[in-house]
Amino acid sequence: MSAELHLSHLHKRFGGLVAVRDVSFSLAPGEVVGLLGPNGSGKTTVMNMISGALPCDGGSVKVGTTDITRMKPHRVAKHGVARTFQLVRPLPTLTVGENVMLSLAFGKKRHWGREARDLAEEKLAFVGLEGRGGEQVGNLTYIDQKRMEMARALASEPDILLLDEWLAGLNPSELSIGIELVRHLQGQGITVLLVEHIMEAVRALCSRCIVMSAGEVIAEGPSAEVLARPAVIKAYLGDDHA
Amino acid sequence: MKTPLAFALAAVVLAALAAAPLFIPDYWTGVLLGMTGYVALATAWALFSGPTRYVSLATVAFFGVGAYTVAVLNEVLPYPLVLLCAGGIGAAMALVVGLSTLRLAGVYFVIFTFGLAELVRQTVSWWEVNVTYTMGRYVFLPFEGRHIYWQLLALAAVTLLISWAIGRSRLGLALKAIGDDETVAAHAGINVTRIKLMLFVISATLITLVGAIQAPRWTYIEPSIVFNPTVSFMTLIMALLGGAMRLWGPLVGAVPLFLLFEWLSVSFPDHFSIILGLLFILIVFVMPQGVLAKLEDLRGRGKP
Ligand SMILES: Nc1ncnc2c1ncn2[C@@H]1O[C@H](COP(=O)(O)OP(=O)(O)OP(=O)(O)O)[C@@H](O)[C@H]1O
Ligand SMILES: [Mg+2]
Repeated sequence: MSAELHLSHLHKRFGGLVAVRDVSFSLAPGEVVGLLGPNGSGKTTVMNMISGALPCDGGSVKVGTTDITRMKPHRVAKHGVARTFQLVRPLPTLTVGENVMLSLAFGKKRHWGREARDLAEEKLAFVGLEGRGGEQVGNLTYIDQKRMEMARALASEPDILLLDEWLAGLNPSELSIGIELVRHLQGQGITVLLVEHIMEAVRALCSRCIVMSAGEVIAEGPSAEVLARPAVIKAYLGDDHA
Repeated sequence: MKTPLAFALAAVVLAALAAAPLFIPDYWTGVLLGMTGYVALATAWALFSGPTRYVSLATVAFFGVGAYTVAVLNEVLPYPLVLLCAGGIGAAMALVVGLSTLRLAGVYFVIFTFGLAELVRQTVSWWEVNVTYTMGRYVFLPFEGRHIYWQLLALAAVTLLISWAIGRSRLGLALKAIGDDETVAAHAGINVTRIKLMLFVISATLITLVGAIQAPRWTYIEPSIVFNPTVSFMTLIMALLGGAMRLWGPLVGAVPLFLLFEWLSVSFPDHFSIILGLLFILIVFVMPQGVLAKLEDLRGRGKP
């Protein structure tokens, strides 16, 4: 199935601040693409508009041929888009397994009962939390919470996955585990939009990158080439390094 | 405990409770009646407010509307139809209120629901004084205390059954998720607004029915009696005491508190409100999660 994501002329204002200005790009099915940019450049805002968390002030978002621009998050989810959050958001009154079952129960296929429990266990095993479904979320370490959030996103059986700095805050050995996990997703044919500051991860995972600065797309193309462009280096490091 | 065994046990207790009025003096039947009413109220309240944590003070608005519906219709329609009307009116009112308020978060929702109860009371008073020229109404139904008690017992059982069923369904999971984080719940595919509305309507309809069934007990009804805000506060504090997130929590809170309130209102009629307020504060500070959670906590700590 060709689950591609297509943004055209997305626009978002917060009061006087234009957080996203005329952003357009597309993801081909099965592609892992990096969305980069310095702090406050509008990456999370773009993700929020795709997932329906924020209404767009202009432009459109399409999944395949379906226009999802004005859909609420729960309907966007049904069209095969899942996400993680920049600050990990576990649901503390639910167990680890229930956090994952939630997406199974309300995803496209609405699994429940035994089947949902088995599938939740399968997703947990995939992210490295095998057999830990019964635990309280509060007892999980930071990386395990991130894993759980990934399992929850995968449980809605998405075609497109939005990862907002999912690898941030991990130590080097955790990072390489994390990178392996994302690579596995690619192997399963999921299209991934990866917001990331860690260049090592971007180089390892993304064939292509989109770079934003102050709400606008300033560069787009193959990762190695884009990251070497003076404009990109300038946006990240300031004028002195350009 | 295995589910069939739990059900068998519940059925035995229910049968014993139903048979009780045949063996105990009328006064105690009255106490059981009041207690059962509050068990139903607190359990129904917790259906919605427990998992979602939308603290509603509109309990008495629905309760009172239920009672008033019976007062207005009891001589016009057969009793079962009167109850049906009461339930329908409660559901319709909850739908309108829910659509307009469930977007409000936190304290704004609390204030709105409190305001709603006052608004409904004032509107009914105004209507009765200026339009129908009645100051109060009489309810003439051939019910004794135990008849009302049996109806309330059935309603309380049904309410518990609904709560049990929701707790096991995906709806229960969705409600808990909504209480934790509405944004995450929505991104998991949950239609948050619809589920909140649905539960609010179910909860409010049950509360309306409690008011309707209890109406014949007063014989004489006027707004200040059936729209007494104390009902909302007592329901809330009972559910919180036992634990509003648990099936049996509201019941565990309602039984002792009802007995305590009975005793207090007889022994200290002038200071009842003050004591109620103090208790309220105490419960919120000492066990915000309720008695059942506290017990579990203590038991957990006892273990190595
Ligand atoms: N809900 C909001 N209300 C007002 N301003 C907002 C809101 N969300 C984001 N902004 C502003 O919009 C701009 C873009 O923010 P955004 O979070 O999209 O940046 P980002 O690229 O994700 O940055 P970071 O790398 O720090 O996560 C920032 O100036 C931010 O302060
Ligand atoms: Mg961000």
